[in-house]
Amino acid sequence: MAIHTDMGSQLVNLCSALLLLTCFAIIAQRRLSACVDLFALQSVFLAVTAALVAFLTGAYHIYIAAGLTVVIKAIVLPRILKAVIERLNVKRELELNINIPSSLLVCGALVILAFYITQPIISLGFLLTQDSLAIALAIVLIGFFIMIARKKAVTQVIGFLVIENGLFLGATAAAYGMPLIVELGVFFDILVAGLIIGVYTHRLQDTFDSVDTSKLTGLKE
Amino acid sequence: MNAVALLLIIPLIAGFVSLGLRHSKLLHGINLATMLLLNGALAAVMSRVLREGTIQGYHNLILIDALSAFILLIIAVIGLVSSLYTWSYFEHYRTQGDVTPVRMSRYFFLFHLFMFTMVLATVANSLGILWVAIEATTLATTFLINFFKRKTSLEAGWKYLILCSVGIALALFGTVLMYMSSVRAAGGIDATLNLSDLMRVAAQLDPHVVKLAFVFILVGYGTKVGLVPMHAWVPEAYSEAPAPVVAMLAGVLETVAVYAILRCKMVVDAAVSPGYAGNFLVAIGFLSFAVAALFMLVQRDYKRLFAYSSIEHMGIAMVGFGVGGFLGTFGGLFHLLNHALAKSLAFFAAGHLFIRFGTREIASVRGAFKAQPLTAAALLAASLALVGMPPLSMFVSEFSVAAALATQAYGSDTVHIGHFLTITVADEVRNLGLVFFFISIAVIVFGGVMSRVVKMVWGDPPPGIESGETWGLGHLSLVLNIGALLVLGFLMPEPLKRLMNLAVTTLAME
Repeated sequence: MAIHTDMGSQLVNLCSALLLLTCFAIIAQRRLSACVDLFALQSVFLAVTAALVAFLTGAYHIYIAAGLTVVIKAIVLPRILKAVIERLNVKRELELNINIPSSLLVCGALVILAFYITQPIISLGFLLTQDSLAIALAIVLIGFFIMIARKKAVTQVIGFLVIENGLFLGATAAAYGMPLIVELGVFFDILVAGLIIGVYTHRLQDTFDSVDTSKLTGLKE
Repeated sequence: MNAVALLLIIPLIAGFVSLGLRHSKLLHGINLATMLLLNGALAAVMSRVLREGTIQGYHNLILIDALSAFILLIIAVIGLVSSLYTWSYFEHYRTQGDVTPVRMSRYFFLFHLFMFTMVLATVANSLGILWVAIEATTLATTFLINFFKRKTSLEAGWKYLILCSVGIALALFGTVLMYMSSVRAAGGIDATLNLSDLMRVAAQLDPHVVKLAFVFILVGYGTKVGLVPMHAWVPEAYSEAPAPVVAMLAGVLETVAVYAILRCKMVVDAAVSPGYAGNFLVAIGFLSFAVAALFMLVQRDYKRLFAYSSIEHMGIAMVGFGVGGFLGTFGGLFHLLNHALAKSLAFFAAGHLFIRFGTREIASVRGAFKAQPLTAAALLAASLALVGMPPLSMFVSEFSVAAALATQAYGSDTVHIGHFLTITVADEVRNLGLVFFFISIAVIVFGGVMSRVVKMVWGDPPPGIESGETWGLGHLSLVLNIGALLVLGFLMPEPLKRLMNLAVTTLAME
């Protein structure tokens, strides 16, 4: 059992680290459709992590959450986003608020910060998923950073979804998933949010002839 | 138990029925009937809460105590007056041709879903469901804010959606941490996010985790409340959304978000020392109060002025809850009710003014009293209430909060800045200093609001503005709100008093 858990813990940590790695890849990527693909890949890693935790702990309701992750975050939402990108005819993000090398440095700092914040409570976590909580927080922070560093509405949405992935990893890692009814509700919210944001991006394009959120400056003091 | 089910089912059914209808009178009629039914169901729930204390059931999914009943009361009452107002407001835009029947039916669909999600947030036992419902309010309202489909309202709707979704994601992280501590306390087998269970095992929850959780939850739901520094969406959304929607956002949605914070505060209070969450609330409350008051001094747009006033009042309520004790908690709760009444009144009046004057510029609105006597009276009453003038009821709640500041003892009298500097302050000095600060800001608010409103109300209207107004359903809601603010300033109906007493005891139980 001890070897089993040790091995499992290593695997869960590996998967969490892969999630974090895809975050960096998204930061380094300018092509929007590649960003969406990376997000889908990240969601697959997330589902694998969740399935691993479900297998190792015997908390079977996490399988349902893992399945929903694949369906909603790896298939449905990326498709919606790709359709939006297709219609908007924006392939690349040319102007960034913060350039890519410095973005990567900032994200490195954010990871250190996340480990620092969770230090006091990390020892309380379960053996299996000790480091995952810190990684989850790091992913959340990087998601925020993506939203700040990028201008296009689509990449901001990806930032939001990355935050959600981080939160879900946190829930799985820290507490072996939330109660099923809550998880279902959260997935529903994310799905609807994705749809609504898609609609909004269309309207932004129609109204402003651009999905550059830096053009949204009509309202100020 | 049936009344509880009705509370949830009525708006849901009304929403889907509205989606299929295209006839405006029918839509409005259904809307009004829904709100009346909702108020009836609420009365039944309230009387049961008063009789039996806490209602709990439906597989432990529902928990209604005095606090939830009080928040439900605000939801139902403001929902009713908003529906009255909606009728005359939309009739105007419909006759102008700005609103098509299809858009109207979508409006009512979203409006009822909005009501449903707020009721769900208030009656849910689980902190997770509470989160799901509050995030759903964001999704239901973003298209309501963008209802007029102007360029600026699209921008406001987008900012609202992104800021609130992201902000509230932090609250989810806090909820996850809360669950983590619950899992550890309960040994992982029957861990829940149910408030009733969390309160039971609160003593065993790990204080470190709960503290961290509360910070995330406060920032998350604080975004929804519009507390500084997460308030950027408030002035934009409130100045762009249709008046009845703003009345609901400012009066009810903020209240529900405050409710979420209070629920988590109860758990934190029981798990950590009572001062911990309170100090955070006092600090963020004062910050919102002060910053919003300063912003009000530079406003040129009356809807934005009232939006900042919302931030300010939520700050006051937070200070009240943070200071705690009977007086502070009572002041905070009563302030929520008064703010809902006064702010919806202010935005109803603002909606009428906008229809008549066609501008949101304070400088272009003159002589409102001659042009629209009743609306101007409502504007004046709302402003007097919002600056805390007696005899209106907001004075009572603001005064309670100030009095609580002056008299309550705090958790700790030392402030540590880094490792090097520790400041110890005598209780009296700090209390009086805080009260002085509080009253100074209140004076700034008074100057900022009244100087503008007085200019708008008196004088002669600009040429081309027609004078006089005819009575409509919208005016009924103005009269109801003014009446409620006046009456509550003098006496409190017996059931409300008992409900509030119960709610205060639930919250401040030390």
